[in-house]
Amino acid sequence: MRGGFSVLILLLSVSWRLPAQEADTLSAASVLSVRERPVLRPSEEVRLDAQVAVPLQVADVLSRFTGVQVKDYGGLGGLKTVNVRSLGSEHVGVFLDGIQIDNAQNMQVDLGRFSTDGLQSVSLYNGQKTGRLQTAKEYASGAAVYLRSERLAHPDGSGGILRLRGGYPGMVNPSVRWDKDLLPGLTLRTSAEFIYGDGRYRYPYYDTTLVRENGDIKSLRAEVMLLGAHSGGDWRLHIYSYGSERGFPGPVIRRALGFPFSAERQTDQDLFVQGGWRQEWSRRYATAIRMKYANNYTHYCTHAEKDPMAFPYDLHYRQHSGYFSLAQSLTLTEVWSVDLSTDLQCNALDSDAGQFVTPRRLTFTGALATRLVWEKFRFAAHVAYLGAWDVFKTPDAGGWSRQNTWRDAWMPSVSLSWWPLPFLEVAAFCKRTFRLPSFNDLYYSLMGNSSLDPESAFQCGGEVRFAREWGRWSFEARVSPYFNRVAGKIVAIPTASQFRWTMLNVGLADITGLDLKAGAGWSSGDWDLRLTGRYCFQQALDHSARGSRTYGNQIPYIPRHSGSVSLLVRWRRWSLGWDSVFTGERWSRTANIPDYHIAPWSVTDISLERRILLPRFAHRTAQPSLVAAVRCTNLFNCRYEIVQGYPMPGLGATASVTFAW
Amino acid sequence: MKKAFLLLLCGALVFSACDKNNPNGGAKESDLTGETVDLSAFGYTGPRKIFILNEGQKGANNASLDVIRFSDRQYLSGVFKKVNPKAGGLGDVGNDLIVIGDEVWIAVNNSGIVEVISAEDEKEIAAIKLPTPRRFAYDDDYVYVTSWAGAFVDGSYDESFNFVITGSANPKGQVYRIDRKTKKVMGSVEVGYQPEGIGLLEGKLYVANSGGISFQIAPDYAYDHTISVIDAASFTVSETIDVVDVEGGSRRVVNLKDVYADPFNKKIYFTALGDYGDNHSGLYYIQNDGNIYLASHYVSVSARYGNEIYCIGTEQEFDWNATSKEWSVWSWSGNHKVTYFNSFLKDMAVPYGLCLYNDRILFVSDAGDYFNPGTVTMIADGGKVWTVTAGVCPGHFAIW
Repeated sequence: MRGGFSVLILLLSVSWRLPAQEADTLSAASVLSVRERPVLRPSEEVRLDAQVAVPLQVADVLSRFTGVQVKDYGGLGGLKTVNVRSLGSEHVGVFLDGIQIDNAQNMQVDLGRFSTDGLQSVSLYNGQKTGRLQTAKEYASGAAVYLRSERLAHPDGSGGILRLRGGYPGMVNPSVRWDKDLLPGLTLRTSAEFIYGDGRYRYPYYDTTLVRENGDIKSLRAEVMLLGAHSGGDWRLHIYSYGSERGFPGPVIRRALGFPFSAERQTDQDLFVQGGWRQEWSRRYATAIRMKYANNYTHYCTHAEKDPMAFPYDLHYRQHSGYFSLAQSLTLTEVWSVDLSTDLQCNALDSDAGQFVTPRRLTFTGALATRLVWEKFRFAAHVAYLGAWDVFKTPDAGGWSRQNTWRDAWMPSVSLSWWPLPFLEVAAFCKRTFRLPSFNDLYYSLMGNSSLDPESAFQCGGEVRFAREWGRWSFEARVSPYFNRVAGKIVAIPTASQFRWTMLNVGLADITGLDLKAGAGWSSGDWDLRLTGRYCFQQALDHSARGSRTYGNQIPYIPRHSGSVSLLVRWRRWSLGWDSVFTGERWSRTANIPDYHIAPWSVTDISLERRILLPRFAHRTAQPSLVAAVRCTNLFNCRYEIVQGYPMPGLGATASVTFAW
Repeated sequence: MKKAFLLLLCGALVFSACDKNNPNGGAKESDLTGETVDLSAFGYTGPRKIFILNEGQKGANNASLDVIRFSDRQYLSGVFKKVNPKAGGLGDVGNDLIVIGDEVWIAVNNSGIVEVISAEDEKEIAAIKLPTPRRFAYDDDYVYVTSWAGAFVDGSYDESFNFVITGSANPKGQVYRIDRKTKKVMGSVEVGYQPEGIGLLEGKLYVANSGGISFQIAPDYAYDHTISVIDAASFTVSETIDVVDVEGGSRRVVNLKDVYADPFNKKIYFTALGDYGDNHSGLYYIQNDGNIYLASHYVSVSARYGNEIYCIGTEQEFDWNATSKEWSVWSWSGNHKVTYFNSFLKDMAVPYGLCLYNDRILFVSDAGDYFNPGTVTMIADGGKVWTVTAGVCPGHFAIW
């Protein structure tokens, strides 16, 4: 009985101690405590080098976090967006090395396009991240996902990683990295990766089994990064290029035999150049400058000659965006600092679509933040201002004329934390953010409404964390209740005609939730065991129109219950990982009726890794290694859908060999 | 310790069990029960059934068929799927529904299927493959179907009536004809861009060309504004009527939708949706001398009863910021407009379908938010009798 009870406790509790460190700090200048101590820590942080057989896409890493719903259309090429605590994916900022990856066209970032290759950690902030020298955009995001590039130290001044991955459903993924210290304090990092996925996997359809067609993808990513450090500062320059060609398999619907589900193809070419420079001018004053230029090209074609059901679209889009950010930090006393961040961004979207309005947007974001950080009591507050000026074409009696709109919003936030004991931490935050309407919301033909207001998200949350070690054991637990309200939600509303819709700020959703996470670790000699359990409760209710038939129902695609269990076992140079993700019942519509019910599902991945140390090369001190890994995805071949009509792959496997020198 | 982890693995195995649901065998329609509705306004003379087609949402595969069964006053939901479980649902986007004899013909637009079922028990008789079917008309031998297909492909039916794609991007639509007895496609004729409504009057088919998506597509970027007249006997286009300047002045009549034939007065009525800008929707008619007149503006939904056309519309149809609209019902009977008092429209978000049983009893459907299930309301003598929840976008009715 007692044994059974302890197993139950283990099942309910469980995870390993995450290396809960704050961002990579500046070179070891004399540091004041206000710089070091976080007020709120990330809700989740995963160091990818601590994982076994790391999944290929960032979306797969995020899907295990509490409170995160990854909307996945299936396959390597399928769109993957994240929704944090039911705010909607437009409220989630995704930051690569502190600079936002944005998309003014639809305000969504496809996390299926970001590879885990070359990343050191992925972290999620529900409350406000409260570091020094943040960009104003970091203050203006509802929730934030941070992707941090890996910095490897090479004792020989250079080194590299060569990896080959492959598996079923058909996938080939070679990647290469090479780093070189050019000068003292100047490092060059280069990497390239190719992915091919055939997107062909089986799925059940009534009493037969079909194979997903037209879901293949080819993509190539190439990056060059220069990292520099000098007295009192550092800088980086990052050139990122990504190209892909993919098919969209389309929803599974009833189709006359011989007509394909879809023949849609899309080509993307993304290029960005981003850089940052941080400088400590004195013990009290520091600045950070960040800049980015991004150019995204998309060609979308429905290939109507192959699919008689398709609307014959053959459209090209190009987005340009330029971004400049200046962050200043003033340390007034050892415990008190004030930060001022100002961002300026311009976006432009061009297309050959009919009646396209060629929107241009200039966005100013400013944030004034302050922190008071004692050892046991910590406080942070900021107020951010967002102003956006849009210019677009509009049809009028004589043809076309340019029009403009101004939108703005004030966004306050307060965070508090209390660290009464070394192993206990209590925190709370309250924050209001707005997201701008996307170009699609405003100007999409037959849909957009150019008089939309920004959509607001109000968040309030608390957190209790516990982390302690007892001999060989270590325990960690986190309990975070929260309440969110998304108001003035931008919703597509039909007009008098089925062919013409409009967008209005009429949605209102109230979200009450609870994130639980618990972990235990045990290590002894050759053994290292870690077990983490996560559970998330979300009651996300539609409160848009009192008296409507869907008032008070759960909003689409949000499960009331979800969770995951991860187990990691290391023995000498072997590692075994087990991940089970569970999602409870959901509905694809606000009408919570059987027709739109999506069955609960749970998927288990298992992975095994073996590290082999190779003999040293002549004249080098670093020991090269070879890592062979196998990952089995959806071990129990569970048939499930995340988005209704888009079946997910069943049992699959990938194998990889990594050579590092 | 190891034992505990072993047990945990077993636990995870159970945790990972999949949810499997097996579709059951088909149900008999006579065994189905739904919501009991009040049909006393019909007296003893009601029809046997009224079929309601819920269009569903594109890509969601949720077109469905509801039935009002008069024998026991039941409103049955999702009948097709329950009676024909192996068909894979009715399909994606139901677009038109018509009763021909004891058969019900349903155009399932995005499935590429014309579904023929028995009116008696809703069992499938035939599923005819036809690219993007839109609307129906019929005579003694053939059912005529407008199709957007030609907008996207060049293709033809081979000897065994399989559709063979031969080339790309012919921008015009087609009218197909299907043999009523054999359910085989017996050829097609090219009409205008994205044809919608079709009406048969004195051996001639009048086809309303909308250009509903052409306005977004190179090279024209424009709505269509023509009616193609097809001689049914020879199945060739005999005339194309351009209606754009019917109103004269600066108003343009574009984006045509419904067509109704009035055999009593030998008139063809048609509606235009307008361009969502300055050119509003309206009801128009072609006299038998060939002259075309405007009946009245503002038509979102229309239906025919005898020689009258009933319409629901709103002057705020192109107001993109209105959260609720003032809808009104009016009818056109040959030469004058009658506007009805209609308090029942006050509760409706978007009146989406209209059906007149006679001049006292009508059915109006509300599409709501087009995303969640809508409603069907029965109205008798100007008052609401009942409202039931239908499927997504209930839009078409047929009386048997």
